Amino acid sequence: MRPFTYVAAGTPKEALKAAANSSASHYLGGGTNLLDLMKEDVERPEQIVEVADLDLAQVKKNKGGGYTIGATLSNSATANHPDVRNNYPLLSMTILAAATVQIRNMATNGGNLLQRTRCPYFYETSMPCNKREPGSGCGALNGSNAGHAIFGWSESCVATNPSDMSIALAALDASVRVQAPDGSSRLIPFNDFHRLPGDQPEKDTTLRPHELVLAIELPAPIYKDHYYYLKIRERSSYAFALISVAAGLEIKNDRITKVGLALGGVAHKPWKLTSAEEFLVGKAPTEENFTQAATLALKDAKTLEHNKYKVPMSEKAIARALAQAYARKA
Amino acid sequence: MKTNNIKGTGEAINRVDGRLKVTGQATYAGEFSVKNKVYAQGVNSTIAKGKITSIDVTEALAQPGVIEVITYQNALKLKGHEKDLPAIDNTTPMAVLQSPDVHYYGEYVALVVAETIEQAQYACRLVKIEYAKEEALTDFAAAKSTAIKPAAPEDYFRGDVEKGLAEADETLEVTYVTPIEHHHPMELHTAIATWMGDEVEIYASQQMIDNSVKTIANTFDIPEKNIRVISPFIGGGFGSKLQTHRHVTLAVMAAKMTGRPVHVTVTRTQMFTNTTMRQRNEQKMRLGATKDGKLTALAHETLSHTSTYEQYQEPCGTVSKMLYATPNNEVKHRLMPLNLQTPFAMRAPGEAPGSFALESAMDEMAWKLGMDPIEFRIKNDTQTDPSNGKPFSSRLLNECLRIGADKMGWENRPKTPRSRREGSWLVGYGVSAASRASPYQESAAKVILRAKGGEVHATVQTDATDIGTGTYSILAQTAAEYLQIPIERITVELGDSRFPVTPGSGGSWGAASFSMGVKVACDNVLKELKEKVGMSEDAQANVAQLLLDNNLATFEATGTATPDEGRAGYSVFSFGANFTEVWVNEHTGMFRIKRMVNVSSAGKILNPKTAYGQILGGLTMGAGMVIAEQTKVEPNFGNFITRSFADYHVPVNLDMANVEVIFLPEEDKIANAMGIKGVGELGITGVASAIANAIFNATGKRFRDLPITPEKMVMAEVEAGVV
Ligand SMILES: Cc1cc2nc3c(=O)[nH]c(=O)nc-3n(C[C@H](O)[C@H](O)[C@H](O)COP(=O)(O)OP(=O)(O)OC[C@H]3O[C@@H](n4cnc5c(N)ncnc54)[C@H](O)[C@@H]3O)c2cc1C
Ligand code: SF4
Repeated sequence: MRPFTYVAAGTPKEALKAAANSSASHYLGGGTNLLDLMKEDVERPEQIVEVADLDLAQVKKNKGGGYTIGATLSNSATANHPDVRNNYPLLSMTILAAATVQIRNMATNGGNLLQRTRCPYFYETSMPCNKREPGSGCGALNGSNAGHAIFGWSESCVATNPSDMSIALAALDASVRVQAPDGSSRLIPFNDFHRLPGDQPEKDTTLRPHELVLAIELPAPIYKDHYYYLKIRERSSYAFALISVAAGLEIKNDRITKVGLALGGVAHKPWKLTSAEEFLVGKAPTEENFTQAATLALKDAKTLEHNKYKVPMSEKAIARALAQAYARKA
Repeated sequence: MKTNNIKGTGEAINRVDGRLKVTGQATYAGEFSVKNKVYAQGVNSTIAKGKITSIDVTEALAQPGVIEVITYQNALKLKGHEKDLPAIDNTTPMAVLQSPDVHYYGEYVALVVAETIEQAQYACRLVKIEYAKEEALTDFAAAKSTAIKPAAPEDYFRGDVEKGLAEADETLEVTYVTPIEHHHPMELHTAIATWMGDEVEIYASQQMIDNSVKTIANTFDIPEKNIRVISPFIGGGFGSKLQTHRHVTLAVMAAKMTGRPVHVTVTRTQMFTNTTMRQRNEQKMRLGATKDGKLTALAHETLSHTSTYEQYQEPCGTVSKMLYATPNNEVKHRLMPLNLQTPFAMRAPGEAPGSFALESAMDEMAWKLGMDPIEFRIKNDTQTDPSNGKPFSSRLLNECLRIGADKMGWENRPKTPRSRREGSWLVGYGVSAASRASPYQESAAKVILRAKGGEVHATVQTDATDIGTGTYSILAQTAAEYLQIPIERITVELGDSRFPVTPGSGGSWGAASFSMGVKVACDNVLKELKEKVGMSEDAQANVAQLLLDNNLATFEATGTATPDEGRAGYSVFSFGANFTEVWVNEHTGMFRIKRMVNVSSAGKILNPKTAYGQILGGLTMGAGMVIAEQTKVEPNFGNFITRSFADYHVPVNLDMANVEVIFLPEEDKIANAMGIKGVGELGITGVASAIANAIFNATGKRFRDLPITPEKMVMAEVEAGVV
């Protein structure tokens, strides 16, 4: 085992202070991703700052009508929280489609946002991977890439973000509240939180060194009636998405007034389908419009050797998720 | 609670070892506490072919707790293979770390021995190895020209297939593909070896104790009597623990070299590369049939791969020789040596993939002929094994098919593909036949009687193993029945090479062979006790009473069951039929198996509960073949890119159906005196085709390449112009 120091932080301030002391420090949430990666020798922290006990495990209503969901609340507690279920059923449904009960009980919201790709080259230290070892090459680019990106990839990395929860958060236009070691805090719009690989695939997010995730901020309750999370996977549960769709609709007088739509399993970040959203606003919730939106959403897809299936699969899934969302209370 | 209930064979009792297992008291190989034990961890090659040019162990050796690093440079010299590409079996020597040559990605190239497992694992990463890499062959398509005729099985011909095809009203020529699959028993492979002078004692998770002793003797060139192998509980094997794999060699070698007991555990990732696997099989099927459904020809050609240093051919075509009556039959196997590890038997080797091909092709032909696939099979039934002309000892395949059809409501199935819908689900029904040889082999046991407070207790000892199948229970039931001693007073002790020899668990012969061995030992103990007390052999007597009446504290006897000559005149197989109802989601391409009915004709069922467990497990593994199980080879590096359970998907509970298993009441006294056949492998046989046939019935699309993933579903629609 590689030696590391362990700090149990009691407050965000303590956590930030401890983290700033080491260049190779990691926060530890539920550990369901970090510890696995340490066992695989992929992550090699010199210091671990456990944040699971920070006083951030709440769901709070904000003045503006939205809600703040604490970073250390577990995925299970979040999905089953009455305020989340009632106000953001899309988020509940999405979280419950991920992993297993046991893992969701351990996993924290902060850790979920920062879980790393499941690209097998990233996991196998004997193979090249720019994300794990910058400059070593991307094994997947011309290798086994059935699970990889069709949007926003670069020659240096074609990985996808594996989080289900993040897909709903992208559809919901959430933001992430983070704090820096100097005590300052900032709010990052969800779409800017994860990044595309570009030539720095080792960076998954726009977080600055040692920044701590405090919470997820949600806008006023939305898509309470029309929502759906469709996850296509290789078995009925306990598998990451091949592709997934989070869809929310607001409908008035048989017209779509607002749409939240994001696609998972297709890019280095949750893939917000802005053009499809824009297309649907003001239109009638019909199958035909849903299909057109889906076609539009996939227009700029760029496939790799083994992932061509993701285009038709995504198109079908987007149309289906929208139809299911509409049908929930139609 | 004490009862005087004997609880003999045929009763659905709970596992006699169940309490031990659920309370953590059943000790598995890796759980034995051995004094002074150290841990060792294998280092895997990171190229698929080439030579080691340098090894630097300095840094690894300098780590705290590290005791030794073993490489080809300092390893004990072991006996290697005497010829190139030998056909392997259950006792083939397992030499390791003998040369700088690398044959596949993940091969053991070093072993680190340390005081703790963490120290060993860490130091493994510090062993610096350089290679001269050579061009490896791991691509199936590119390797086809390298295919050789395997050492076994021989090509088989009956009649003239070309003639049969020419005479047919309908013909079919299709190829089915099954991917590399891995056994992945829950319990990792493990071994703890301790030398005591010239003798070595090994706790290991092994299905076959005696063969394990032989392998170690062969590998180290030491007498079998100096080796003791102990394996009382095994957390699943599925064939992967038939052979005594190289981690056992490593444990024995490292223990010798360090003078300490050494514990080697194969990690889950190493389970992919350092145990064994089922190879990818491409099976070309050619069928001919007359309008009224008589098969005129059946040809089954299998293309598989083996390693570059050993050969194993999965006999996929065997099932096509015996299952249906056809005058013209041809079965061939070809083998490509690739830079991948050597494959070996995995649950129903041959039948599992072979019956996927045969039973899917039968379904395709039935559809072409416009016949009910059940009637088509019945039309081609035979009570004589066409491959050798011997009558089947019993063959109730037609009954299995008819009874299953009744249970399933087969007459209400969608008669044409893509004709039934439930919301966005397409509904289909599928059927397949199953057959699996029921071998029976020489098997011995010892019975020890002890008088205790006016009661007689019996201990049964054999080197048989319980790989989760229920051996403890059925042997306790057998002893209870043949000794007429209540089962609470029977203790069964298994998995120790000091006990009488059995063939071990494998090939579905365990239940029949072990039980017969115990029966003979029970018969002998009564016979010999009568002799001892001067009673005539024919006199009625109860063994327990006899012991008590004669004031004997203890008495023991051994017995060996041997297949009799009567059996040799017959072909002995278990038969079955599988029925499935599958729902395919037209939007996601995901499918759900809603219902499965299995009817099995497998001789006397010793314990309906454990036998049900075997069939259920087989059905689940068969479902896994269709749902998601596949090991993928990386195209540029030649390693397995599926390297954990996150990538290699086995079915989850939600994937499994409402399952019904029916055993036909049967005792096959030709098979053996107790009427037992095997169930361990029957359950997986044909399952994949019953599901794939249902998917065809649901969607109108044939998937001949397993597994049938959402990806394949959607691409099939793209090809068909639906999307
Ligand atoms: C077998 C398996 C199956 C899974 N299946 C799915 C699935 O289907 N869908 C899915 O979405 N996920 C799945 N997951 C992933 C799982 O959701 C994540 O592992 C989990 O959400 C991570 O949360 P954690 O608290 O355990 O994170 P940790 O492992 O503790 O941390 C992950 C990362 O986040 C960082 N971190 C943690 N908290 C903070 C914080 N407050 N501020 C800054 N950085 C922080 C850590 O430093 C680390 O880099 C699966 C995981 C496993 C093991
Ligand atoms: S896709 Fe990204 S994570 Fe995967 S090998 Fe390439 S660089 Fe590494």
